[in-house]
Amino acid sequence: MAEEFEPKIIAFLCKWCSSAGSDLAGVSRMKYPPNVVPITVMCSGSVSPLYIFNAFQKGADGVLVSGCHPGDCHYIKGNFYARRRIALVKELIEYIGLEPQRFKMSWVSAAEGKKYTKIIQDFVQELKPLGPQKKLRREK
Amino acid sequence: MVNLEEIKKEAKNILEEGKVKYIIGYAKSSNALMAAPTFVKKPEDIDKLIWDPTCFQNLVKFLLDEKRKKAREKEPDIRPVGIFVKGCDSRAINVLLQEKFITREDVYIIGLSCEDLGVLDEKKIFKKLKGEEPEKIEFDQRKNIVISTKEKTIKIPLKEILAERCLECTSSFPVISDVFWGDRNNRSPKEPFKSLEQIESLSQEKKWDFWQQQLSKCIRCYACRSVCPMCYCDECVVDSINLAITADTTAEEKSQKIKWIEKSPESSENFGYHLVRAMHLAGRCIDCSECERVCPVDIPLRLLNKKLEKVAKELFDYKAGLDPEQPSLVSSFKDEDPEDFIR
Amino acid sequence: MKKRTGVFVCHCGINIAGTVDVKNVAEELMKHSDVTHSEDYVYMCSDPGQKLIENSIKEHNLDSVVVACCSPNLHETTFRNCAKAGGINEFQCEIANIREQCSWVHKDKLKATEKAIKITRSTVEHVVKNKSLEPISIPVTRRGLVIGGGIAGIQAALDMANSGYEVILVEKSPSIGGHMIQLSETFPTLDCSQCILTPKMVDVSKHPKIKLLTYSEVQEITGYVGNFKAKILKKPTYVDPDKCTLCDKCVDVCPIVVPNEFDIGLTGRKAIYIPFPQAIPATYTLDIVNCPGLLPIACGKCIDVCEPGAIDYDMKPEIIEEEIGSIVLATGYDLYDKENMKEYGYGKYADVLDGLQFERLLSASGPTMGEVLRPSDHKVPKEVVFIQCVGSRDPELHCAYCSKICCMYTAKHAMLYKHHVPDGQAYIFYIDIRSGGKDYEEFVQRAKEEDGVVYLRGKVSKIFEENGKITVWGADTLAGKDIEINADMVVLATAMRPTKGAEEFAKKLKVSLDKDGFLSEAHPKLRPVESVTSGLFFAGAAQAPKDIPEAVAQASGAAAKAIIILSQDHLFHSPIVAEVSLNLCTGCGMCVDVCPYDALSLKDNKAEVNEVLCEGCGTCSATCLRAAIEVKNITPGQIYEMIDASVGG
Repeated sequence: MAEEFEPKIIAFLCKWCSSAGSDLAGVSRMKYPPNVVPITVMCSGSVSPLYIFNAFQKGADGVLVSGCHPGDCHYIKGNFYARRRIALVKELIEYIGLEPQRFKMSWVSAAEGKKYTKIIQDFVQELKPLGPQKKLRREK
Repeated sequence: MVNLEEIKKEAKNILEEGKVKYIIGYAKSSNALMAAPTFVKKPEDIDKLIWDPTCFQNLVKFLLDEKRKKAREKEPDIRPVGIFVKGCDSRAINVLLQEKFITREDVYIIGLSCEDLGVLDEKKIFKKLKGEEPEKIEFDQRKNIVISTKEKTIKIPLKEILAERCLECTSSFPVISDVFWGDRNNRSPKEPFKSLEQIESLSQEKKWDFWQQQLSKCIRCYACRSVCPMCYCDECVVDSINLAITADTTAEEKSQKIKWIEKSPESSENFGYHLVRAMHLAGRCIDCSECERVCPVDIPLRLLNKKLEKVAKELFDYKAGLDPEQPSLVSSFKDEDPEDFIR
Repeated sequence: MKKRTGVFVCHCGINIAGTVDVKNVAEELMKHSDVTHSEDYVYMCSDPGQKLIENSIKEHNLDSVVVACCSPNLHETTFRNCAKAGGINEFQCEIANIREQCSWVHKDKLKATEKAIKITRSTVEHVVKNKSLEPISIPVTRRGLVIGGGIAGIQAALDMANSGYEVILVEKSPSIGGHMIQLSETFPTLDCSQCILTPKMVDVSKHPKIKLLTYSEVQEITGYVGNFKAKILKKPTYVDPDKCTLCDKCVDVCPIVVPNEFDIGLTGRKAIYIPFPQAIPATYTLDIVNCPGLLPIACGKCIDVCEPGAIDYDMKPEIIEEEIGSIVLATGYDLYDKENMKEYGYGKYADVLDGLQFERLLSASGPTMGEVLRPSDHKVPKEVVFIQCVGSRDPELHCAYCSKICCMYTAKHAMLYKHHVPDGQAYIFYIDIRSGGKDYEEFVQRAKEEDGVVYLRGKVSKIFEENGKITVWGADTLAGKDIEINADMVVLATAMRPTKGAEEFAKKLKVSLDKDGFLSEAHPKLRPVESVTSGLFFAGAAQAPKDIPEAVAQASGAAAKAIIILSQDHLFHSPIVAEVSLNLCTGCGMCVDVCPYDALSLKDNKAEVNEVLCEGCGTCSATCLRAAIEVKNITPGQIYEMIDASVGG
């Protein structure tokens, strides 16, 4: 039997809320699939569209950008700029035909280990039926 | 009504008074359907200036060259450059002002309203001519275009061969100018984003098929980038080699150039290039459609930029180039920006 | 140039090694071309573990280190110090989090190991492009600012001044003292509030290190930790305190009477007034909003009678600019607006009072000279109903939080009422009694047992006036029956809210507020007096409802934190800050627009970073279309490589 497809997810987590939230998931020993590799950035506002396109080009099956809830940004308002920028990226990649399920943004606070866990669980479940992301992926 | 004679008179005046260094305008070219950019330096040359629907080029791009030239000169002539601008072109000037690439004193804006018309779409006319070469054109009452070829003369209603962007234009007059001709009537086209509808209505896979087919044609000649008045960076982020090398550029800096996008015209790289370009034009593209016009392989590039123009309008109530004082689309936010896509 | 990176994989006992094959991680990483040395150890954070890293750096001549272990929030500092001890720059050490983000959340050992390898590889990619950096040194202005002159602000100012630092204390009203000076007696000791506070107020006024600015408001704070600049508006009082002899003649002749804020409207005051006898500074204030006009033609009675010529109608608002190193915010609280409490008849019936009004009634210096009398007819109330949680603990309609002090002050109110009116009856409607605190529970029991206060567990459904009485309908949920009390007076323990205008003020100071509008601390447990902006500290009820001892304790805590800054010649700021590539920058200013700290500006048409203001968030970097600005040691070039490593094969 063929092995089940395991999607690769790159998660850009802000250092202060979402990365801390994912730490809390760990501290609380919650379980989620190992498909996600986190890259901790200072702020969701620092996630350039280039990072997202690049992750897809390098073969990510899904990309998550996660920051602090509005009003809770460690950097006061970085996440508001992220919200606008990511909205544009999301609209654009859906418009060119990439499955919308492949790109997500979330607000995860340092206290939301459970929410982070659920987001990853759901993300993996949503990506599995789609199969590998080949549209933007570079030919090797 | 825009009166060419009055424009010429003004052009002559400002040249004679030495108010401007020179004037960038339009003149007839060997291609009957397309006016060519012209640089009028002497008052006696003003008669070559024209103004009609063949003036579709966006001359603002030449301001970028002017700025670079001035930067190289030891004792540059700091007088402004006179420039013919349409509504869309004027918004390009506003974006350049907003981004402080030029200053208001750098330009003397000769604003020309497209009024109820607009400019021609060459490709639409070629289709109508079915391969015949136009030799001469005339405009009849601003309603029709009369085209003569070797074989025949045909009359086409202007509305049929206007550029798509003109049909969807909401402000056909310059929003910034020093002198102005024509009316300032806002247009309210029923469907300002009609050209997007066809793609938007497609399924996810069909959308992909469409863009895959289109973008796989790209030969990465970068004509779109070269013609774009917003593409003025010394070095483009998608280039994989350093262009902006100065005497101070260290070997370390050169080696650190990130290859976000490879130069090879493969599907993934082409998508990478066009996605980055679209993102970088979000809130800046003023829909002059020059990228699409110059594309040698006919990629409908306007539809990429137009999409983000629509998103900016609908989600953030933002339109590029209306106010040089407002911050850019991506360097601003509102508390109430939508976030229903965020979990 | 290749780096010589050392990779150190921690077992954390079985916390990591139980799910991740740590030996395999170390072996795989050894294959990386920049990795010179790689090993695993049972507890890297232990002393021998740290020694191991230190020695390996020397032995293998490493220039950078990756420790694959727990979250960087825990041991990043430990291992950076360790790298320093080994002789390399601390910023050449990065942490790969393979515990919280890997071993603890996965079960499948094979997959967890695979992921741990990716995380560690990604961290190696990060560190190999790290630059050696030195913390940025900033000189400190050794003077403090305290905003708010209530008990918290007073305490903080005194602590800072007594440590030898100059302090500027800014209070928006004409006198310091805050709400505490309005109180009668304080729980659980029944100390007279004024008696214990006024000595501190006098200390403030006499302290050579304290510059007191009353009737003043901070309009703007710019700058950064160690080097703030404050713009303070000093409103004109139209009375020169140095000339004023406090003869009270101006008050006598003033024809204008308005509700007295100090007595929460239970009495009136004149347009020229002294808020209360012990006010600091002891002087009159002419309230320009209510004064008929400063022109002698409009009234001018006060200026006519003022013999020493202390009244000066030409006094102008003054903007005072001060440089300070650290700031304590103690802007206090207000009671929940009575507009919101119509269902309890507050504001409609004269004999329905809020807690502070009742304090004034009880106060020896209050409108009734300490006699408990009904405002409506000045009769002694024989039955008084106290209602707790008015506006608090009501997420649907009012405030979701507990105002914390109401249980205690209501017990006190009931007790003091009984002391004044021994034959009266006090009823308290409550949801729960929260009496945590030293001697607090004993105090509540004393109210019940010695003073016979009747506690009724339940909510009040309706209050209305009937035949000169205030009828209270409620439920006693313990007895399971409805209750009707024909009371003479009702006292509402209304919720504590942040001071009016706090929201606007917070925006000016760029401090964030929590969902209820209280100041948001940097960490709810470990940094309770700090704001996220360094150099800015919180004290008192502005941060959350609290009682006097808590406010005082927090004020001393905040003062200590503020002093930590003032006591240093230089501060050190993280060098993880933005950097501009001048040859790429076009001077568009988009980075300047987005910078949350005003750390960016345009100079000669290029972006310039103020490294002291920059916090390294990188929003500028993502916004820049020219890739002309990036944050040191977390550059797009590093992210590029990290994506590669994270996606893996």
